[in-house]
This record gives sequence, structure tokens and C-alpha cells, in this order.
Amino acid sequence: MKNKTLMLVPFIIFAVLCVFLLKGLFGNPKEIETGRLGQTMPAFNLPDLMDENKRWTDKDLLGDVYLLNVWGTWCPTCLIELPYLTKLRGQGVKIIGLYYEQNYDPDFGDSFDLAALQREVKGMLSRTGDPYQFNILDLNRTLALDLGVSGAPEHFLVDKNGKIILHHTGDINERVWRAKFAPKLLELK
Amino acid sequence: MIAELGYLSLTLALAFSILLSVYPMVGAVKGNLRLMQSAPAFALAQFLFTAISFGILIYVTLIDDFTVAYVASHSSTTLPWYYKVTSTWGGHEGAVLLWVLMQTGWTAIVAFASKSLPWQLRARVLSILGFLGLGFILYTLLMSSPFERLLPYYPIEGHDLNPLLQDPGMIIHPPLLYMGYVGLSVSFAFAIAALLMGKLDNTWAKWSRPWTMAAWLFLTLGITIGSWWAYAELGWGGWWFWDPVENASLMPWLVATALIHSLAVTEKRGVFKSWTVLLAIAAFSLTLLGTFIVRSGIIVSVHAFTTDPGRGSFILSFLALVVGGSLLLYGLRAGTVESSSRYKVLSREVALWLNNLLLCVATLIVLLGTLLPMVHKELGLGTISIGVPFFNQMFFYLLAPFALLLGLGPMLRWKQNKFSHLTKKLIGALIVTSVITFAWLYSSYENVSTTTLVGVFFALWVSLTVVIDLLDKLSKEGASITKLGNSFWAMHTAHLGFACVVLGVTLTSAYSVEKQVKVNPGEQTQLNEYSYRFEGVKAIVGPNYKGHAGVVTVFKDEQKVTELYAEKRQYDVGMQVMTEAAIDAKLSRDLYLALGEQLSNGAWALRIYEKPFVRWMWLGGLLMALAGVIMMLDKRYRRKASVASEMKGVTA
Amino acid sequence: MKKLFIVLLTIFSVSLFAAENQYQFNSAQEEQLFRELTAELRCPKCQNQNIADSDAVVAKDLRDKVLELVQAGNDKDQVVDYMIDRYGYFVHYKPPVTPLTLLLWILPLGFVVLGFVFILLTQKKQAKKKAQWSEADEQKLAALIAKYKESA
Repeated sequence: MKNKTLMLVPFIIFAVLCVFLLKGLFGNPKEIETGRLGQTMPAFNLPDLMDENKRWTDKDLLGDVYLLNVWGTWCPTCLIELPYLTKLRGQGVKIIGLYYEQNYDPDFGDSFDLAALQREVKGMLSRTGDPYQFNILDLNRTLALDLGVSGAPEHFLVDKNGKIILHHTGDINERVWRAKFAPKLLELK
Repeated sequence: MIAELGYLSLTLALAFSILLSVYPMVGAVKGNLRLMQSAPAFALAQFLFTAISFGILIYVTLIDDFTVAYVASHSSTTLPWYYKVTSTWGGHEGAVLLWVLMQTGWTAIVAFASKSLPWQLRARVLSILGFLGLGFILYTLLMSSPFERLLPYYPIEGHDLNPLLQDPGMIIHPPLLYMGYVGLSVSFAFAIAALLMGKLDNTWAKWSRPWTMAAWLFLTLGITIGSWWAYAELGWGGWWFWDPVENASLMPWLVATALIHSLAVTEKRGVFKSWTVLLAIAAFSLTLLGTFIVRSGIIVSVHAFTTDPGRGSFILSFLALVVGGSLLLYGLRAGTVESSSRYKVLSREVALWLNNLLLCVATLIVLLGTLLPMVHKELGLGTISIGVPFFNQMFFYLLAPFALLLGLGPMLRWKQNKFSHLTKKLIGALIVTSVITFAWLYSSYENVSTTTLVGVFFALWVSLTVVIDLLDKLSKEGASITKLGNSFWAMHTAHLGFACVVLGVTLTSAYSVEKQVKVNPGEQTQLNEYSYRFEGVKAIVGPNYKGHAGVVTVFKDEQKVTELYAEKRQYDVGMQVMTEAAIDAKLSRDLYLALGEQLSNGAWALRIYEKPFVRWMWLGGLLMALAGVIMMLDKRYRRKASVASEMKGVTA
Repeated sequence: MKKLFIVLLTIFSVSLFAAENQYQFNSAQEEQLFRELTAELRCPKCQNQNIADSDAVVAKDLRDKVLELVQAGNDKDQVVDYMIDRYGYFVHYKPPVTPLTLLLWILPLGFVVLGFVFILLTQKKQAKKKAQWSEADEQKLAALIAKYKESA
């Protein structure tokens, strides 16, 4: 009898494993969370995308709940979510853009043309709608690295005290917003 | 029209797989001989219709029929014909069809190569194989048919085969691996049939051995070539990354290695019976689990396969049914088996038991490392990564006991406790191994780490014990080289192969050097004793790609060694850029060059690697596979099942 | 094209400049540390690659950051912690030790122990059986086997 229960151990282990495999099937393995979750925004001092004389620091952003959207004109998924983000702006969500410049790399002798980028951004936002209060230009991707950003689009929900409440990789749409962001936003208000 | 025939033909194969999985089994249970005897015909029909189906897929690819979605996304008109053929298994749907072809092919071979088996067993084995075929064919037809059409709008040019897969390694790597996976299903079928009959005696082990050996041989070759392919093709000189997809192939191999050892004990000594059955089930189960991991997208892997939760659900259901069912059967039936034989602590039985134990621990480590990140995340504990540092550390711990045992095992005798005749020789071997290890390493290298010492020591230890055992056996009365028998030679060849792998891995890990430089034409750089002069970049034009090759002349002591062309290719259709490394291969070292991006003012980034003894790893893999061949050539094997002659039919 | 290439060759082969390293290190230890770190840190964007092997932008940024931190005199743990602060445990191929990940070490060890216990138990069991099996029985059996072999 005892021997028999012992022989069933492999079956039991396998059954438990199957439960996890089934759950894993409906998860997204590519989604990773930043190590910054629950911490305050890292310190930064970066120029505005549209006005190079204007600079933004982490202190300037305190006092309001806002959604930080990491994006770039080179990123197709970002383009897709822009109209929805614009709609969110209409509902009173404060969205700040963190412009993630993918292609610039001084090692490859790249020169950077700010005026051309500004034209491109304006052109794109005039077509899709402009969800942003303003855009921060992170040319060397330093703030992005401090935030644990791996690409675009990514989103950070930040509270009044500058604490990072939520992190989302990939685009925001109605479904994601309702499931993930709306409840948190309600809590904060 | 022709593609639809392919689908239809596969549907007919499905019908025969249903017949095969039902009638012979019913016949076996009821004792109806005629039903049992229907199995070979069903198996053959199942195979023939699958073969027609696969033939049609090859045909539509060769004629560039881009109305077929699979052809449109995996081939193109400019693709050379041999890569067109390869492209039939370069994508998910085709790869699964290739799997089905092999599954049904093996089934047909088993059907006709098992004439000496009693019908009770033969019918059950074939029925179980038929059921597995049924699952895979159903999956192909429902979830991943390569015969779907793109009508009415279809492209005039295909997307081309992924350039990474346009390599000779890719032509043979997947088929070899699938041969191994599918081969394990035969061991599995024998185990289940034995459980169903309640006859777990050593005859079962005897019948199962050649099939398991064949499967192991293919798996070994498949993994070896896969590793070599990654090294040559991925452009950063890596040969093993403990990626989930690699792990998925390693786990069945580890268990199959345990299984071939354990089958030998069960056959010869009648012990570990229920353990051997469990191993046979586990080996195939891990194959299915690996397929699930690879194909469902449940885990992030560097080898990007098309993934789909719908397909994942199907494979998981099949996995749960087959593995869950067989483990349940095992739990209910295996408990009643008693091993009758007796053995002592220092016997070959115990050595082989420990070998099994360590191989299973290795499998457990790979399994845990592969799946735990997923479990960790699902339990809401956050994302973690388990990779090279963890696996290397754990396998290093396993190396010493495993290699020590591997040297001792072949010298121990069945049953007995006698050890005194070995003591002197072993102490001698230990001393000689230590002396050579220290002398070699400290005279050749400045820094010698503990890992390197241990690795090289055990590689030499295994080789030396092989030689000692050989001399020992030859010194006996009446012994001669020809009389020692295939299994003796196979064992020692495989063990030498293992030593080569350990040596290659240890030395190349410890003493590989690399350098990343910015070079202008005419500039040169030094790495170890070689100096590399970048001559410039030359345009190249291939059949379906254009690109450029960085020309590098390599010197040693002012003498020109070789001229290497490190290529960057851009494929015409997909516009993907591929790095084609230039390799100068020698037994003692590889020089490996990869051209990077063009930098500012005309300079190029160039990566230079020197990898000592890296070839030994694959050489070791090939030696192990050779051991499998030697074993398959054993007369005892052929008389039993005439496997060897049948095997040729399927590889051709 | 070939001609042009030959021209290129003749122009450049006369000069004998040393190529510049892409990464500059102050010492061999620094270089070694950089290699170790870039091999152990995982690219957060890619499928499954370390930052040394990946061509992704973020991998390059992380490489540059590692270089900067190494040159600033940080040791291995400091650099790894810096990255974990930003990218979470995901970024390091060595898992953190938590109650769950402890299984990674405990289960294999437990398995080995169980295996040894099993073999010792069977030995004991056999020793008991052996008591009922005398030397005379053994000889009898041997004789029977010999007889069987002859007849076969």
C-alpha cells in the first residue's frame, strides 16, 4: 500500500505542474516590471522637446498625478495608441511625454537634428491628436535607463509625491486602461 | 488543388491512425489475433499518406506556389532549391508536419522490424504509437495546417526563409532532433505496453534497448549540430546559452542517457524494473513538455518560434492526457513489481544507479531553472531570470561525482563487492591524472582557476580509466581486440566523447579571449599570439543576398596564417541583416571574426575571438553519436529486431 | 569591384596603424569585470540574450552604463544592484534567493539524498533476505546454472 502511494508521486507532481503551465499559457512572458515601482521618480534635468531653452526637473512634476508616456515617432505601436491617449487627455488625465530617441548614437557618428525631429513630431501629433501637456527630450536615454525602460511604448503612473504607482509595457487601450489604470487612478483621487 | 490533396492525404492518415490506435488494442485485450494482425497494415498506410502529404508540401514549395500561405511566408523564388526543401520545416506548420512524418515513419518501422515480438506486445506497442500519431496529426489538421490558402489575394513573391535558417546546419538539425524525440516515443510505447500487460520483466528491456539507443543517437547528433549551428550562425560565438529551447532538447537527452544505462541493468540483472519504466515515460514526457514550452510562447526564448495560446492549449491538453494518463497507469501498476536480484554496495548496479541519480538531478536542475521563473511570476512574486551563472554552477557541482563514477563504473563487476584488484590501478590513475593536469595547465597558462583544474582533471581521469580498463580486459586470458564486443567499444567511445566535451567546455570557457576594435583599413591589432590586419571591405553578392565582407589577414610571428572574410549580409526579400562570422578552425583553437557596424569616418567595428579547444566539444558529441552507431551495429541487436537495416530507410 | 578592392588594398596595406579598442579599460581586472557583467546581465528588451550579445539599443545603453560604472571603480555587486534597482531582478541571470527560489538548490539536493537513502534501504532489506539464503543454496544455484548452460 505504502509502495503504491509512492508510485503516484510522479503523477501528483505532474498534475501540479500542469496547473502552472495552464496559467502560464494566458500570461505575457515578455512583460517585466521596473525595479522602480513604489519608489519616487529618479532625479533628472532634461530639455523640453519643443523648446530647447526650457528645462524640466523631477521637482517640476510634483504636486499632480500624471501618466508618463515613453514614446518615439519611430515606434509603430506608439502611433497606434496616440488617439486613445488623446481621448484620455480629454477626460482630464495629465499625460507627459518622455521622448525616447532610439536612433541617436554618437559612437556611430550620428548628428542630431532637433529642428527636423520637432517638425516630425508636430506633423505626427497633428494627425493623431496631441495627448501631451509637454514632452521631455531624453536624447541619451539617461532618464529612461534610470526608470528601467527597455523600449517604447511604456507608461508610468506617478502620484502627487512623485511615487511610481504603476508600470505598463506595451500600448494602452480601452481594455488595459479599465483593467489596470482606472482603478488605481480612482484610489489616488 | 494540389495543396488540398496534401490536406486530404493527411486526413486519410488520420483515419488510419484512429484505426491503428483502436483495433489492435481491442484485439490485444480480447485476445483476437486477426485484429492484432491488422496493426502493421494500418501503420504502413498511416505513414504512406503522411509521406504523400509531406511530398506535396515540398512540391508546392519547389514550384513557388504562393497561394499557399505557408510557402508564401517561408520561401521565395530566389531561394536556392535545397533551402526551399529546408523551408518546409523552417516554420511551425511544416516542422510539425515533419514531426508527424517521422512519428508515422518510426511507427511503420517498428511495425515491420518487430516480427519476432509476440503479437500481444506488438499490437499494443503499435496501438500506442498510433495514438501518439493521432494526436500529432489532429493537431496539424486543426491548429497548424501548412496547406492553408491565401485566396483570392496572394503575393507574387514570398517572404523568404529566415536567413538564420539558411545554413547547412539547419538542413539537418531539426530532422535529427525530431528523429530523437520521436524515437523516444517508441521506448515510451514499449514501457506503456509492458505496464498494460503487467509484465515488467527483462524481456521488455531487451526489446526496448535498440530503439532507445537509436533515439539517443539521433538526439545526441541533433544537439551537437544545433550547438555548432548556433556558434557558426548567430555571430557572437556562443554555443550554449541555457535557453529554454536548448533546455527543452537537453532534458530528454539527459533522461535518455540515464535510460540506456538503466535498461542495460534491467535487461542483464533484472533490477530497477519500475525505475526504468518511469525513465522511459519521463524521457518522452519531457519531449512533449519541451515541445509545449517551445511552441506555446509560455517562456521567452532567443529562438523565436511562432507562438499561439490556442496551439498551446491543444498541446497542453495532449500533454496532460498522454503524460498524466501514463503516470497514473504507472502509479497503479508499477507498485507491484519486485526486484529479485541482489547486489552489493561496490557493484556495477550501484554505480549505474548513482549514474541514473546524477543524470536525473541534472534534469531536475534544468527543469527547475527553465520553469521556475514562470511559476515565480504567476505567484505574483515578480519577474526573475535564471541563466548561465546558475546552470554553470550547478553542473559544475555535478561534474566531479559524475566523472569520478564514470571512470570507476566500467571496472566494477555486477553483483560483487570485490574492489581490491582495482585499488592499485586506481591510485596510479589518480596520481598520473593529477600530474598531467598540473603540468599541462601550469606550463601553458598564467592563471588556472579551480573550475579549470577540476574540469581538466576529470576529463583526463575519464580518458585514463578508459585506457586502463581496455588494457585490463586485453591482459586477460584469451582476450583480443576483436573479441571484446560492440557494447564494450561503444561504452568506452561514449565515455571518451564525454571526456572531450568536458575538456572542450572547460578550456574554451576559461581561456577564450575576445576583443572589440574600431578598425580602419590597413590597421592591425594583436590578440594573444595572433595579429589581425584589416584590409578593407569588399562587396559580395549571393544568390538571394548582397552585402560586404571585411577582409582580415591573420599573422603569427610575422607569418601569414590565413585570410578571413567576415560577412555582413542583407537578404533581398526580408532586408534582414545577418552577420556571417569567419572562422579559422583548428583542433587546438578557433579564430572567430564577426564584422560589426560601420562607425564614423570609415572605421568598422570588428569583434575578434580566439576560442581554444572549442572543437573538442562537438568532437565529443560526435564520438558519443559514434558510440550509438557502434551499438546499433551489434549483431545481438540486429538479430533481435533488424533495426540497423531498417534505420537506413528512414534516414535516407 | 574586384579592381577597386585591389586598389584599396594597395593604398592601405602600406600603413601599419594599430586599431583602437572599442572599449577602453584602465586595467585587465576592469576588462574582466566588464566581460563578466555584460555576460550576466540580461537584455530587458530582447527575447533571451545577455547585453554583451545583443544589438538592441537598450543593451548598448546598459553596456555603456556598465562600462561607466566599472571605470568609476564600482565592484560587481554594486553594478548588479544598480541595474536591479532600475530593471528589477529580471535583469540578472542569477536568481535572487527567496523562499521560492531556494527550491532551485534544495530540490536537487533532496533528490540526491533520497537516492542514497533508497540504495541503503535496499541493501538492508537484501541483507535480511540473505540470512535465509545460505552458502549451500548459492552453490546449488550455481550448479543449476552451469547445467542449464551446458544443455542450452
